[in-house]
Amino acid sequence: MTPLVYVFEEQARDLLSQTGDVRLVDGVAYGFDDWTVFHAYTEKPYFTPSGFICPCVAIRSDAAGFVDEEKLMAEVRRRVDPDGRPIVVLVTGTGAGGSPSCRALILTENGIAGADTRFVPRRSELFTRNTGLLETSALAEKKVVIVGLGSGGSPIALELARAGIGHFTLIDFDRLELGNISRHVCGVNDLGRYKTLAVRDQLLQKNPFAEVSTMEVNVNQSLSQVEDAVAASDLLIVASDNDQSRFNLNQMSLNNNKVALYGRAITRAAGGDVLRVRPWKGPCYNCIFSSGLIDGREEEMSQKRQALAVLPAYVEEDKINTMIQVGLSSDIAPIANMMTKMALVELSRGIETGMSTVDEDLASDFYVWANRREEAYANWPRMGFKWTHPSILRWYGARVDRDPNCLVCGGHLEQEPTT
Amino acid sequence: MGWSSQQSARLHLEMDVLSRYFPTFFLKDSIIPGHAIIEGTLRSNAGNEYLVRLHVPADLPNSVPIIEIVSPVLRDRFGHSLVDLGTSYPMHLLKPENGVVRICHYSASHWSPNITFSKVLLKIRAWIEAYEGHLDSGYAIDHYLPHMEA
Repeated sequence: MTPLVYVFEEQARDLLSQTGDVRLVDGVAYGFDDWTVFHAYTEKPYFTPSGFICPCVAIRSDAAGFVDEEKLMAEVRRRVDPDGRPIVVLVTGTGAGGSPSCRALILTENGIAGADTRFVPRRSELFTRNTGLLETSALAEKKVVIVGLGSGGSPIALELARAGIGHFTLIDFDRLELGNISRHVCGVNDLGRYKTLAVRDQLLQKNPFAEVSTMEVNVNQSLSQVEDAVAASDLLIVASDNDQSRFNLNQMSLNNNKVALYGRAITRAAGGDVLRVRPWKGPCYNCIFSSGLIDGREEEMSQKRQALAVLPAYVEEDKINTMIQVGLSSDIAPIANMMTKMALVELSRGIETGMSTVDEDLASDFYVWANRREEAYANWPRMGFKWTHPSILRWYGARVDRDPNCLVCGGHLEQEPTT
Repeated sequence: MGWSSQQSARLHLEMDVLSRYFPTFFLKDSIIPGHAIIEGTLRSNAGNEYLVRLHVPADLPNSVPIIEIVSPVLRDRFGHSLVDLGTSYPMHLLKPENGVVRICHYSASHWSPNITFSKVLLKIRAWIEAYEGHLDSGYAIDHYLPHMEA
């Protein structure tokens, strides 16, 4: 098989645009599948790559497109100690129409082999399949803050990156532990890392041109820092695991007139709910919390740290351990998926896209989902063949109005912020 | 950074309500969120007075305020200091700080921004009656005040 080498087109363009006598540039490559596939970089990759590392050297061909290969290979061998690994040599030049071209050679102890080269394209070409349904050029300018990068927040982040959202701020202070892996977009090679940084790398794998900033902070202890991020965003997505953070983020959403989406799973992820807060136009998080709609729908406790944060210090260890009851990743997925769709509707608002009809359907601000007939849904009838009664695996929108007596968004404040 | 305008409005509302129902309570203001305290006296049915301190949380009204009984020094029926009990389920006590008893009133899972300081002080008033009941009978406070479901 002819080796295959992927090169980032923008890195090749950068190399070609460098002035002066650029001869050899040291890069880095990552090989897969017995050194038959390579990802080559002329600069340090800005996300954590995978594969087996090997040397890479890039060179610009001269104005006539000429490179003395024999001389070049001798020079590369003098310059790089491959330590038994192949060396990827990239020869870049300017092709027809001024676009960059790149040829790759694989240098091993056995000699030189030509490779097929493919560019990882520029931003404009990465999301061509989304065109029509989403206005990807507009979405590339949108800024999303996601709080909580666990089993709910991480797939939302990934889906939004796939849709072409261009700017993310990821907020979480947790690190990825073994118990998280089965429900998380990241895997064992990310164990111990901050979830923010591990998810950032996943996003950049889907959209290498996204701008991703991270904040490894506790929302409840870094209020002004987080509020600055919210103020600069187009949408706030809350997938955190405690009410205090949701109350604080609710206030930030109201203060800055930013639409916020809240999602959570109930015990053992038997179901969940999603709330959209349109500041001062619909119910806020506190309106819903105080409405009784979520009474008896206790939040899923997925880790000890989460339980300790909400329980008094005298609650015994055994009791805490029994409260930690997690559901399956496939139980979280519908909630994350609903939040993603609602996010895309909000981010596409005012833009003519295929999401407009979804917007018409999502008339409610609060949605309920049931995965199984247990916990709050224990008395629901079986799904059967009827559409006229509540059933698992369907979304239900509830009509909830803003509570005039809400002490957060109700009438006690003299005026609403105008920002 | 001081209180936000929303927090200032909320503090004003809290003090307005307290002035009606708990008029001895006053705000020892601080422009630094998390450092303001409200203090006042609660009197039991038996006529005993308790100096109560409420720490206004930095993220008012989004988290549970800390409540301390500053004086008198509280002892159980058997003469042991309640501070020495540390965290206590039967006596509804949280871990004491600086030698002062902290009362467990609302747990974080039951807190909402709709709960006013006045409601919190009502629970403290009930705790005081239960405490005096304990002094009379020896029953733990939990006997008089069953816990909220966690």
